[in-house]
Amino acid sequence: MKASRHWCVALIMIAGAAFVPSCTAHETRPAYLEIKEISPDHYDVVWRTPVNAGMRLPIVLQLPPEAKSVTAPTTQELTDSLLERRSIVVAGGLGGKRVDFVGLQGTITDVLVRVQLIDGRSWSTIVRPSQAWIDITPNQGRLGVAGTYVAHGIRHILFGPDHLLFVLGLLLIVKNRWMLLKTITAFTVAHSITLAIATLGYANAPTLPLNAAIALSILFLGPEIVKVWRGESSFTIRHPWVVAFAFGLLHGFGFASALTSAGLPSNELPWALLSFNVGVEIGQVGFVILILLLERAFRVLEIRWPRVVEALPGYAVGSLGAFWTIQRVAILAGVMR
Amino acid sequence: MYDGLLHFLLSPEDIVPVVALALLAGLRGPEYGRRALFLLPVSWFVGCFLGTMFQWATSWPVAAISFLIFGGLVAANAQLSLRAMTVLAGLLGLVHGWMNGAGVPWSFSLVGAYAGLVAGVFVVVALVSAFVIRLRPPWTRIAVRVAGSWIVATGLLLLGWSARRG
Repeated sequence: MKASRHWCVALIMIAGAAFVPSCTAHETRPAYLEIKEISPDHYDVVWRTPVNAGMRLPIVLQLPPEAKSVTAPTTQELTDSLLERRSIVVAGGLGGKRVDFVGLQGTITDVLVRVQLIDGRSWSTIVRPSQAWIDITPNQGRLGVAGTYVAHGIRHILFGPDHLLFVLGLLLIVKNRWMLLKTITAFTVAHSITLAIATLGYANAPTLPLNAAIALSILFLGPEIVKVWRGESSFTIRHPWVVAFAFGLLHGFGFASALTSAGLPSNELPWALLSFNVGVEIGQVGFVILILLLERAFRVLEIRWPRVVEALPGYAVGSLGAFWTIQRVAILAGVMR
Repeated sequence: MYDGLLHFLLSPEDIVPVVALALLAGLRGPEYGRRALFLLPVSWFVGCFLGTMFQWATSWPVAAISFLIFGGLVAANAQLSLRAMTVLAGLLGLVHGWMNGAGVPWSFSLVGAYAGLVAGVFVVVALVSAFVIRLRPPWTRIAVRVAGSWIVATGLLLLGWSARRG
């Protein structure tokens, strides 16, 4: 009876995941706009929009009316995005002018904007759906760049449910605070290593198999959580930090994919990388603290959850891990065919 | 979902009355905390859908009135019955949820946004009420009541501002 109830919960969650379009892990990959001044008032423009399941995000780049195309835009289809290049000339320069992103308001995607001027000054910022335009004012220092990428890191982990679900799965397995500290530290160290080596170009992981492997890492934790409930033991339960480290290496490649898909310039990479990683850690630690505080609050409020509700976070981890694994393996198989 | 969550967390007119209700529930004890924790998100969710369905919003300064009522109850350390707490939590959720939903045209994605919104309500009530319940020294409970009086003061300012704007 109890087992069948648990199966019902699992089936409901899988069905729910199938009907919720936002249950894809990298739906919030940002679009990217790079404007590079090659001679006074002449600019090279690179505009990259993510493509999800064959659908391009409906965002239209609208340059100021003064901008005239020197060359016709060229479009290149990549596996995960669409890349447009063009050269423009703007009488009087782009300074003080506005670039609009029409349709951005209807998405939850950000646009990472990088402007590089001929005098060597450059700046980066993130445009969000709540304010779908940018006024070009080239005065961002190193601190501004750091702020931009810290915010990008926080948003990436908080808006990427796959990473959070993995952390939640680890929280459900660990038995005490010392183990929790070791596990979260191992995850942090591991994903920092691969984030760094992938972003700096020393290693690379193809996006589609990587996403499938990340989903598999979440699915892997599902049965382990069930073993914890049953009072059973396993290598993962005894040494969760080892598993956190191993899979953390995978998740680091995922973070790097989010960072490098934005097309970062090499001269700002180390600084942007550090800031992005700090942002990811802030988001991750914030999430862990929130879960611990909630758990404590439920005890203070003397809440006795029904068994099914108690099992819900574990089922969320297992069911969504299974759903994403099937979905991403299907996409991978489709591409390979 | 994140849209709804962020909307709630970034809207003082919604989050302050929720905090006030949680403070009040925390002062009364775990049973009141539990009642607020489970009733408020549900009534908020229902209110959102009713607001979206009827597309009508009152011109009354709802936020200011909520600040005054709930801040006042906290400041007075009102010895409410559980039934009164139930009614208050239900009303707060219905009214503020309605105001959130009014003016938003129906679309399927609203379900996610409203779920995020009530998740925010749930988390805030859980954390704040549990925090207050754990407070032991008498002066800390006085500090909670002082917080209630600040909420009342903010409500008065809001009310005066609304009256001036006509």
